[in-house]
Amino acid sequence: MPDSQPTTATVRIQRFNPDNDKKPYMQDFTVPLTADTTILDALHTIKAELDGSLTFSRSCRHAICGSCAMNVNGRNLLVCKTPLTRVLDGKGRVAIKPLSYLPIIKDLVVDRTSFWAQYERVKPWLIPPDNMPEKEFRISPEEVEAIHNAETCIMCGACYSSCQVIAMTKEYIGPHALLKAFLRVLDPRDAAPGERLADLSGEDGPYRCHTIFNCIDACPKNLNPTQAIETLRKLAQKRLAVEEARVERQKTLALPVSKT
Amino acid sequence: MYKSTGFISFVLRRFTGMALVLYLFMHILVIGSATQGAAAFDATLAVVQSPPFKIMEIALLAAVAYHAFDGVRLLIVHYFNVIDYRKSMFYAAFAVAAFFTAVGGLLILQALLYHA
Repeated sequence: MPDSQPTTATVRIQRFNPDNDKKPYMQDFTVPLTADTTILDALHTIKAELDGSLTFSRSCRHAICGSCAMNVNGRNLLVCKTPLTRVLDGKGRVAIKPLSYLPIIKDLVVDRTSFWAQYERVKPWLIPPDNMPEKEFRISPEEVEAIHNAETCIMCGACYSSCQVIAMTKEYIGPHALLKAFLRVLDPRDAAPGERLADLSGEDGPYRCHTIFNCIDACPKNLNPTQAIETLRKLAQKRLAVEEARVERQKTLALPVSKT
Repeated sequence: MYKSTGFISFVLRRFTGMALVLYLFMHILVIGSATQGAAAFDATLAVVQSPPFKIMEIALLAAVAYHAFDGVRLLIVHYFNVIDYRKSMFYAAFAVAAFFTAVGGLLILQALLYHA
């Protein structure tokens, strides 16, 4: 940000209305700027005061709902938690586009059908063991540590729409769903790690990743889908051993961790 | 288009890979001319040893070196937990490939200039 703080910023937004426009175009808006204006605040100002037809999705404004991921200056991020001053160039401008590689519904809203379809495909829910403990599952701090990172994913789609493989084919499961698969495969409570790894062993699974690392750079929660994908690749090669180890581990799930 | 060092490395890897496959076909064509007799083989070899082909050989060396060292980089990523160093490793692969291309390129140029 320049020394003398400007009081306005130019927000360039990619517009597209499928009813009237043949292709997307950029439109400039001038918005008031303070040190604590977020990009989302600027979008709200535009919608409320300058152009009510501007369309974008947002919900919580606390970086936890995952609705407001957008492409800002070529980088995917959550607009609700990013100050406008941080993304302005020397001339006080910023360019906002919808997430890449996904069909645009209108303006900054994209069609996430393939994103959710791939998510569902990895069965993101926990498959509990037959012998459910009466009180609670007992899991060691190390086991929690291994999956904690993956648990904090907010499904915003920033990684998915930065992935070059997704750009080429929507058949690929994608970093978001593979991170979720990783979470379930490593969770000691999950009863079907072998089945999950077998499902992932096809050509659309972790082996399709080209290790481009865009997902890591795009993630607003600083998660590491690439490492999860690498781990899934290794585990898929010893699927039966993983399955056996899980059966053994689940015999002691109800016991205090120190005795396991 | 989501640009990043990983993206550049991915594009270079694909292009050099395709270039190497094309080279392989050309290589087989050249060597295959030996089946037409010694004279035909000598004539083909004379063509591919001309200066334009020598210059293209440097480009081939660059493609081989980059593809090889980028492959080594990926193997390291697969087998060791080094994802935090992903950008440095890309630059390292590029630098090592550039070094080998420069050294090999100079040797090819030297042979071209002084032993032609």
